[in-house]
Amino acid sequence: MMINRRNFLTTIALGTASAAVLSACGQSGTTAGKTGSAENPVTINYTWWGNDDRAERTRKAIALFESKNPDIKVNGNFTDFAGYWQKRATEAAGGGLPDVMQWDLSYLRDYGQRNQLLDLSTVNINTDAFDKSLLPSGQIRGKTYGIPTSTNAFAVYYDPAKLAAAGVAEPDGNWNYKEFHEFMTQVGTKSNGAFFGGGDYTAVWWMFNIWLRQNNMEAFTEDGKLGFTKDDLKKWWSQPADLRGTPAMIPEERVTQLLPKSAFGSNATASEVTWDNFMAGYLGDSGAKELKLVPVPSDDPDNLGLFLKPSMLMVASAKTEFKDASARFIDFMVNDPEVGQIFKTSRGVPASKTQRDGTTFEGTDKLVVDYEKSIEKYLKDAPEPPIVGFGTLESSFKRIASDMNYGKVDINGAVDAWFKEAEDIIKQNA
Amino acid sequence: MTQTQPVSRRSPAPSLPRKSRQRGVDTRAGYTFLLPWMLGFFALTAGPMIASLYLSFTNYNLFEPPKWIGLDNYLSLFQDERFMQSVGVTVSYVVFGTPLKLAAALAVAMLLNSKRKGQGFYRSAFYAPSLIGASVSIAIVWKAMFGDAGPVDQGLSFFGINLGGWVGNPSMTMPMFVLLTVWQFGAPMVIFLAGLKQIPGELYEAASMDGAGPIRKFFNITWPMLSPVIFFNLLMETIHAFQIFNSAYIISNGEGGPAGSTLFYTLYLYLRGFSDFRMGYASAMAWLLLIVVGILTLIIFRTSKSWVHYSGDSK
Repeated sequence: MMINRRNFLTTIALGTASAAVLSACGQSGTTAGKTGSAENPVTINYTWWGNDDRAERTRKAIALFESKNPDIKVNGNFTDFAGYWQKRATEAAGGGLPDVMQWDLSYLRDYGQRNQLLDLSTVNINTDAFDKSLLPSGQIRGKTYGIPTSTNAFAVYYDPAKLAAAGVAEPDGNWNYKEFHEFMTQVGTKSNGAFFGGGDYTAVWWMFNIWLRQNNMEAFTEDGKLGFTKDDLKKWWSQPADLRGTPAMIPEERVTQLLPKSAFGSNATASEVTWDNFMAGYLGDSGAKELKLVPVPSDDPDNLGLFLKPSMLMVASAKTEFKDASARFIDFMVNDPEVGQIFKTSRGVPASKTQRDGTTFEGTDKLVVDYEKSIEKYLKDAPEPPIVGFGTLESSFKRIASDMNYGKVDINGAVDAWFKEAEDIIKQNA
Repeated sequence: MTQTQPVSRRSPAPSLPRKSRQRGVDTRAGYTFLLPWMLGFFALTAGPMIASLYLSFTNYNLFEPPKWIGLDNYLSLFQDERFMQSVGVTVSYVVFGTPLKLAAALAVAMLLNSKRKGQGFYRSAFYAPSLIGASVSIAIVWKAMFGDAGPVDQGLSFFGINLGGWVGNPSMTMPMFVLLTVWQFGAPMVIFLAGLKQIPGELYEAASMDGAGPIRKFFNITWPMLSPVIFFNLLMETIHAFQIFNSAYIISNGEGGPAGSTLFYTLYLYLRGFSDFRMGYASAMAWLLLIVVGILTLIIFRTSKSWVHYSGDSK
C-alpha cells in the first residue's frame, strides 16, 4: 500500500515538474518583461527578513502599492535573518529567486558577482533623491545590484527606565571603552540581578569593524584580503575580559535561551550595542515606553569610526519575468513618502530625500533621526560591498565569539579558529 | 500472471519459443507497471545521488559551474574541527539515544501485551508521540519546555534540582535530544508488540511449570524469540538516528549551538551547503555518511548471526 501510494505521488510530482519546465520554456523574454492590466494583473513575489513588526508594516506598504498599481499583485513572504539566506541559496541554485527581495550588504557580492541579481540601471528606478555617496554601496564593477532603502549607523541603546530603577545616570555618549565598561558594571551590580549591564559587544562583527576604523585600520584591503592581524583581533576580544562572568555582561547561556529574541529586547539587559534602526523592533519586543541611543565608545574622541551603511537594499532577481513590475515596486518602496510614513525608522532612516522629507518622525523615531544627525560630523565613507563570502565570515565571527563565551575555546584558540575559517573562505572565493 | 505460467510449463517441447515469447510479454508488462516507480527512482533518487557523487569531487558554490578538485573535499574533512565535532555529537546521540529508545519501546510493548481493559486506548496513546515527534511543532514545544523557567526546569526545581534551562547549556542539550528521541518510541513499540504476539503462550506456560521467574522467562523465551524483531528495530533506529535533522535545526535556530553541542552531522552538512555555499564539500559529507552507515549496517548484520534466532533454525 505504502509503496503504491508513493509511486502515485512520484508520478504526480514528475508530471508537475515537467509541466513547470514546459511552461518555463514557453515564456518569452522582452526588455520590460511581462506586463499586466487591471483586469489581468501580474503577480510578483517579494521576500524580506524581519520580525512581526516589520511584517505588519510591509503588508500595509504592499496593500498601498497594489491600490496604486492595480495591474500588479505582490505576493509577500518573510523569515528571520539566518534562515533567509539559506532559503535564497536553495532558490538561486534552482534558478527560482523571488522577483524582488530585501537584501543585505553582506551578501551583495555573493549573488551580484555571480549574476543572480538584475542590473537595476537597466530598468526605470528614480535615484535622483539619493545621496550620491550612498549609492556606490549597492554597486559592483559598474553595475547597480541594489538600491538602499535607508541608512543605519551603530549606536549604544539603553533603557532609561532600567537605569532609573538601578539609580545609574544616563550616559551622554561621550565615552571611552573604560568608561563604557564602568557603566555596564554599575548597571549590572545595582540592578540586584533584575537585569545585566549589557551583552558582549565584541561578538558583533560590525562593532569590531568600527573599532578597527577608530584605530585607523580597515577590515579588508582593496584586493580582498584581511586588513588586520591576529593580534588586533586578540586585543579586541580580550578588551572586556574582566566583565565576562560578572553582572555587567549577560552570560551566553541566557542569550541562547532567549533566542530568537535579543537579550535587550527580552529585558534581560539594560543596554545593547547595535544598529540604530532596531528601535521599533526593540520597543515591540520589550514593551518599553522609551529607549534612547548614544554614540559608541571610542578611545579617540575625534574618531568614532562611525559610518552610515545602507541598512538594507532592494534587489531584483536576474531571472525575473516581470522587470517592469519589479522596478516599479522597488521605486515605490524606496521613494514613496507614504511608505516612509508606514516604516518610519524601522528600516533605518529613509535614504531617499523624497521619502525622508515626506515622513513625519515623532517620539522614538525622531530619536533615531536625531541620532544620525548628531553623529554627522564623525561619519566616514560607507564601506563598499564586502568580499564574497562575507556573510559566512560575519556569522562565524559571532559563532566563535559565542564558543569563547561558553568557555569552549580560549581567546587564542578563538582567534586562530576565526582566522583559519576566514583564510579558507578568501582562498575559496579568490 | 500466476495462472499462465503453469500452463506454459505443461506445454510440450515444441512450444519453447512460445514460452519465451510469453515471458517477453510478461517482462514488458512488468516493466510498464514498474515505469512510474522507475522514473521516480532514476529522476528523483538515482540521478541526484550520482550528481552528488560527482559534486563531491568538485568545488561547487551553487552559482558557478563545478570545478573538479579530486579528493580534496574528502581530505579536508579530516582537518575540519567542526566536522570532527559534528561526528562526535552524532555518534554520542546514536550510542545513547538508540538503545534507550529501543529499551523504552520494548518495555512499553511488554506492558501493553498483557490483557487488560482499554488496551486499545493505551496503545494509541503511547503511539501518538511518534506520529508528531518528527514534526516542527514538537521541536518548538520541546525547546519551550526545556528553556529557562520552562516546565522541566520548574519541575526539577521543585525537587531541589537546579539545572537551569537545558537549551542554553551545552552539557544538557544532548540529554534533551536523547529524551526527545526516547519519547518517540512508538514505531519500534508497535513492531515489538506484533513480535510479542507471535510468541506461543505454551512456552511461557511450560516455563512456569518448570518454576521459571519473570526474569528467566524474559531472557530465555522473550529475548531469543523476539531477536529477529529486535535486530530489525536496532537496524532501522540506528540508521534513523544518524539522519536526525529537523529537531536539531529548530532547537538550535539552525546554528548547531550552544557552543556546537547540537551540531549534528546532517545539520553541519546543510550549513556547509546552503549557508557557506560549499555544495561539493556537503556532497562529500553526504557520501561519507552513506558509506559509514553502510559499513555499520554490515557490521550489525554480521554480529546478528550470534544473537538472532529465527524459528526453524537448527540452533
